[in-house]
Amino acid sequence: MISKAFKTVFKKEVMENLRDKRTVMSSLVMGAVLGPLLMLGLFHVITNVTKGKAEEQLELPVINIQSAQNLEKHLLSQGVKIIELDEKSPEQAIKDKDHDVILEIDEGYSEDMSSGQVAKVMLYYDGSAKGNSNISVNKARSMINAYSSSIGAIRLQLRGVSPGIMNVISIENHDQASSESKGAQMMSFLPYVLIIVLFSGSMYLAIDTTAGEKERKSLEPLFLNPVSRTDILSGKLAATISFGLITLVVTVIVFKLTLPFYPMKKLGVNLDLSMYKLLVIFVALMPLAVLASAIQTIIASFSKSFKEAQTYVGMLIIIPMIPSMILMLLSVKEKLWMMAVPILSQNLIINQIIRGEDPGAAAILVTVFSTLFFGLLLAWIAVRLYNKENMLFAD
Amino acid sequence: MITVENISKSFGDVKAVKDVSLVAEDGKITALLGANGAGKTTSMRMIYALITPETGVVTVDGINSTENPVDARARMGVLPDARGLYKRLTARENMAYFGRLQGMNEADITRRSDELIERLGMEKFADRQTDGFSQGQRVKVAIARAIIHDPQNILLDEPTNGLDVMSTRAIRAFLREEKTRGKCLLFSSHVMQEVSAVCDEITVVDAGIIRAKGTEAELLALTGEKNLEDAFVSLVTKEAVTGADL
Repeated sequence: MISKAFKTVFKKEVMENLRDKRTVMSSLVMGAVLGPLLMLGLFHVITNVTKGKAEEQLELPVINIQSAQNLEKHLLSQGVKIIELDEKSPEQAIKDKDHDVILEIDEGYSEDMSSGQVAKVMLYYDGSAKGNSNISVNKARSMINAYSSSIGAIRLQLRGVSPGIMNVISIENHDQASSESKGAQMMSFLPYVLIIVLFSGSMYLAIDTTAGEKERKSLEPLFLNPVSRTDILSGKLAATISFGLITLVVTVIVFKLTLPFYPMKKLGVNLDLSMYKLLVIFVALMPLAVLASAIQTIIASFSKSFKEAQTYVGMLIIIPMIPSMILMLLSVKEKLWMMAVPILSQNLIINQIIRGEDPGAAAILVTVFSTLFFGLLLAWIAVRLYNKENMLFAD
Repeated sequence: MITVENISKSFGDVKAVKDVSLVAEDGKITALLGANGAGKTTSMRMIYALITPETGVVTVDGINSTENPVDARARMGVLPDARGLYKRLTARENMAYFGRLQGMNEADITRRSDELIERLGMEKFADRQTDGFSQGQRVKVAIARAIIHDPQNILLDEPTNGLDVMSTRAIRAFLREEKTRGKCLLFSSHVMQEVSAVCDEITVVDAGIIRAKGTEAELLALTGEKNLEDAFVSLVTKEAVTGADL
């Protein structure tokens, strides 16, 4: 079944494109190597910023602290660094982002406190502020709440009432998140990254072997050889698929190598991706290489120039983003029919695997065969396209 | 030998080629002479079985090229209008790629490549990647690539278009050599001097229709002009003269 012409075309396309630094750079180096490294770097930055803020000593400017000496003692015992606010009003200081949160003790605080009335303090903050300033706000709020409850409990005890009377219902939290599923939440972008890499890996060849060859005017002489166009196009498509797969393999390997460097312990998550799990991920993604290459080849075939093809094929990358984005935001219960939908099924399976669940042989089989079916169907269309005369000429 | 009988082709409403017939015999150089847009390239594309004629038949050494394009192509070496090379492959690799697609074995490819490199004077650049080749170097590689399998029929679409004198002469000399080896050569051109210099038989085509056929002397006699250029102008400006009138 594999003809000599198919092998000749395949070998030539692979060799020619390996000689092209642009292809090697764009698919292998940029996508496969830099992608996972960038992911790791981003992870570290985010973890350090959030974690740092949570562990850091809270610096709290307090206005009129002399009216609340017991509260001051409580805050100091909690490790808060109490500082003076400079000339500015608390409103202005928050607006200028000098501090995340400012506490003001009310004028009548000490009087209300000693007379057993509700004493008042004011907390200034910007609820719309980005990033981690809400960590500081929550810290300050919970410390004051804790102080308030402890004083309240003492007051009840003095009157001979059990403080427990205030707690009618107590909530016991049972968080079912395992350290694996927490890890999965952090890694929810992994299917997206892998699918994008797969698409970008085959993109260059899909364009170069069709629209590129048409633009360089070498397609017509190629078709004048005594071989069928089906053989020629199949060879080109096989080379395109191979580049997509090579890019995917390199990405998965680089990802596996960078995995120990993720700050798992710091986040209290566990992300154990054994070679076996990675292999299952790879098997689920493999038929997608056929689909990606075929659809890219079809789009590129309708373009008259390399640049035109690049625009259209580039836009195609938005499509695999849709299921990934939806699944990042929504919780979806996997059903077998979903495994018949290419891209959606790969997203679901990779998510299940990183959550530490077993997707099951049926799901994987349905994924592989349905994606392969659609891939081969599109490949057949791509190959057939070149039997039409108007596909042959750029002019 | 190539026989073309009444081939036609239209693109939408435009009839690009109407009932073109010609015979290109072995041991002769036959020209398809016409102005730009006269239907030369479309006729050539039908003859070398890239596109299918709407009417008529093309046979190459007796093989019907519509019914059996793959076998017909194996008997032809074609330098089409589009002659892009693979610029990341060397000249030799470009030739070998086509040799393999022609079904040749590696030993034959090497032997034939060496022969063509020598005959076309390509020694200096044969092992360089073709990126940055001059026009003349590119055409030589394209011709060598097209006839790597030593076909009986050689078809060239405006082979010396845009070439300097030296390259033009080298290619003309090569075509004459092939003729003496008994090959059938068919080439299209709009350059009178070229046709006058190398061709034995001339078919004048204009607006997709054949205006006249014959040797250069016959065309001059027919029109009563002194040179081919005047004869050509006279043929395409007056009413069609069919081949039967000759």
